[in-house]
Amino acid sequence: MAASNQPTDLDNVPDAILDEETKGFPVVWLLPLVALLVGGWLFYKTMSEKGPEISISFETAEGIEAGKTQIKFRDVTVGNVDSVEISDDLKRVVLTATMEAGTEPYLTDASRFWVVKPRIGAGGVTGLGTLVSGAYIAFEPNTKGKRERTFVGLEKPPIVSQDKEGTRYRLRTETLGSLSVGSPVYFRQFDIGEVTDYKLADDFSYVDVGIFIQAPYDSYVREKTQFWNAGGVNVSLDASGVSVEMESLVAVLSGGVAFETLPEFADSPLAKQGTVFQLFKSRAESLERPITKVITYALKFTGTVRGLNVGAPVEYRGIRVGTVKSIMLGEDPQHEGVVSPVVIIDIEPQRTMQYRDVDESDEVTRREAEEMQVNPQQRIEFLVKKGLRARLQTGSLVTGQLFVDLDIFPDAKPANIVKSGRYPQLPTLPTSLQSMLANVNRILNKVEQSDIEGTLANLNQLMASVNSLASALERDVPGLTGELGSTLRAANSTLAAIETTASADGEIGGQLQDALRELGAAARSIRVMAEYLERHPEAMLRGKSGNP
Amino acid sequence: MRARDAGLAGCHTCGLVLHLPASGHTHCPRCGADMHFRKVNSVSTTWAFLLAAMIAYLPANLYPVMTVTSFGKAQSDTIMSGVMYLFLHGDWPLALIVFVASVLVPLLKMLALVYLLVSVQRRSHMRKQQRIRLYRIVELVGRWSMVDIFVVALLAALVNVGAIATIEPGVGAIAFTVVVILTMFAATSFDPRLIWD
Repeated sequence: MAASNQPTDLDNVPDAILDEETKGFPVVWLLPLVALLVGGWLFYKTMSEKGPEISISFETAEGIEAGKTQIKFRDVTVGNVDSVEISDDLKRVVLTATMEAGTEPYLTDASRFWVVKPRIGAGGVTGLGTLVSGAYIAFEPNTKGKRERTFVGLEKPPIVSQDKEGTRYRLRTETLGSLSVGSPVYFRQFDIGEVTDYKLADDFSYVDVGIFIQAPYDSYVREKTQFWNAGGVNVSLDASGVSVEMESLVAVLSGGVAFETLPEFADSPLAKQGTVFQLFKSRAESLERPITKVITYALKFTGTVRGLNVGAPVEYRGIRVGTVKSIMLGEDPQHEGVVSPVVIIDIEPQRTMQYRDVDESDEVTRREAEEMQVNPQQRIEFLVKKGLRARLQTGSLVTGQLFVDLDIFPDAKPANIVKSGRYPQLPTLPTSLQSMLANVNRILNKVEQSDIEGTLANLNQLMASVNSLASALERDVPGLTGELGSTLRAANSTLAAIETTASADGEIGGQLQDALRELGAAARSIRVMAEYLERHPEAMLRGKSGNP
Repeated sequence: MRARDAGLAGCHTCGLVLHLPASGHTHCPRCGADMHFRKVNSVSTTWAFLLAAMIAYLPANLYPVMTVTSFGKAQSDTIMSGVMYLFLHGDWPLALIVFVASVLVPLLKMLALVYLLVSVQRRSHMRKQQRIRLYRIVELVGRWSMVDIFVVALLAALVNVGAIATIEPGVGAIAFTVVVILTMFAATSFDPRLIWD
């Protein structure tokens, strides 16, 4: 560019003013230094705040997200899942998680992890909150145990958290019944424990059930305490009728166990942790004393035994003394060569001990009880001579079940215990139905034999006298009717007279009509006044003004 | 011929053309502003800012920019994780925009400044036109990276619906702001006249 075309005023350019020399350290280099320091401190802080890394394995990673799922204890986040991987043998899922700093002492081999997600179990529905917030892993720390970094997660939440106090026992039962993990344990219908686990015994002969009873209720469990299965609904139809029993709705649905210590054993020692108890099928069964001594008899009945079940009670005047053991066929005692039912019963003398209301001061009952214990067969023989017989009776009209009834019949035909055959036979009497039929037969026979002809002749005579009475009446009645007729006519005329007086044309009628008209007018004027008052309530005080 | 060779320089503040001595610290007679032929310590200052920005760039990407807490579930996202999330959920145009604006632009800015500085220090005479154009772009585009921070700040301030949704800014957002501001300073402190010196 040619500067010569422009006027050059280069010499008129003003001068800049000199300052003192100051040379300072370029402050700007502090910036990268500060950036470095801050970055370094951030990094250090992150590294030092990092807690221990652990791995937990589960069967499935359902509901778990890498980087998002949290590990919580009492709803406080104590860790985070970093990654989710499948194990080498493809059988489990391994989660790697970072816990908060300071959790090292709580990560031992006794600590437990499980996934909290919505579950429906014996105790109810749990984990509903996770529908909204997403599943998380619950952590139960335990300082007792070896420090550990690799864990196996539980598939189900533990039944009892380890900080609950109580005692564990084991129950033996033939069948599991309706028990499941978490089924409640009741004491006087209070839910004070639960079933923790169950397994088949090693020899498969019984089921071993573990229960946990919370403190302080475990002090009620003594060595002689009896446990029974209180689950489901117990419906029994037997000779004593229908009975329905259930412990609670929860027990109906998820099974349950109940226990009781009989007062006479209330002072027996406390049961230790891990004591094994027998689990009875029902409360009634638990109260039964074990029957070890039985005397078996056979009963031959000629009629039908339909309605009699094996296990039906044998009662003496209403008190149970035995059980029907089996029903077979045997020779009919009355008809040769024909078979008829034979009922085998077990007399259980120990049952009479259960009735604690036995009056021990009564000499006779005490002797009876003694003799039944010492030599029951002899005692029964003696009673048979006195008239002890067996019958089938209807136990319940509802179910139609029969039971064996023993009773003393002084008028019965003398009989003895027949000793032949496998079991000694007690003499029997036919059932009530049969005896009723027998009675009817007797009545019919009686009727047959009675003097019917004589009765008929008497009836004829009766009819004849009735006839003569009727004809006598016939003669006298017209006279009576004539008198009746005149009375009626007089009544008629009186009624007619009343009618005319009361009608509108008569004197009374007209007066009545006038009175009615007056009443109507009075009612109308009262109504008008009421309407006026409604519009002008002040008229009550001031009187009627000119306004309508 | 450069103005410097003639001993002339213009005041940065009021524009008055002055005659400067060859050495010494002077100031403008009209407005009092310090006078320099070139920006003071342009290269070293620019390097300082640039290095600080590069150091700050690491936490900006490693630490979460924003934490969204919804129904008790907290979700932290770094810039890259946000980009990946958008991309994987089918919103790839948005992912692209976020990637370009939050990752590419600051990176390219820093690289461009490094290139300019190195080229000036080695007194290279090549591609002067392209270099000045590059400088202009860096200066213009630089401030637009702040949009990212504004988005985070607005979200954090507005989305405060308690348990339903709450957004909090993270350390990464602060670091990212620092990066943007420092690169802006770096660009300002670079004297483009050095390209022709």
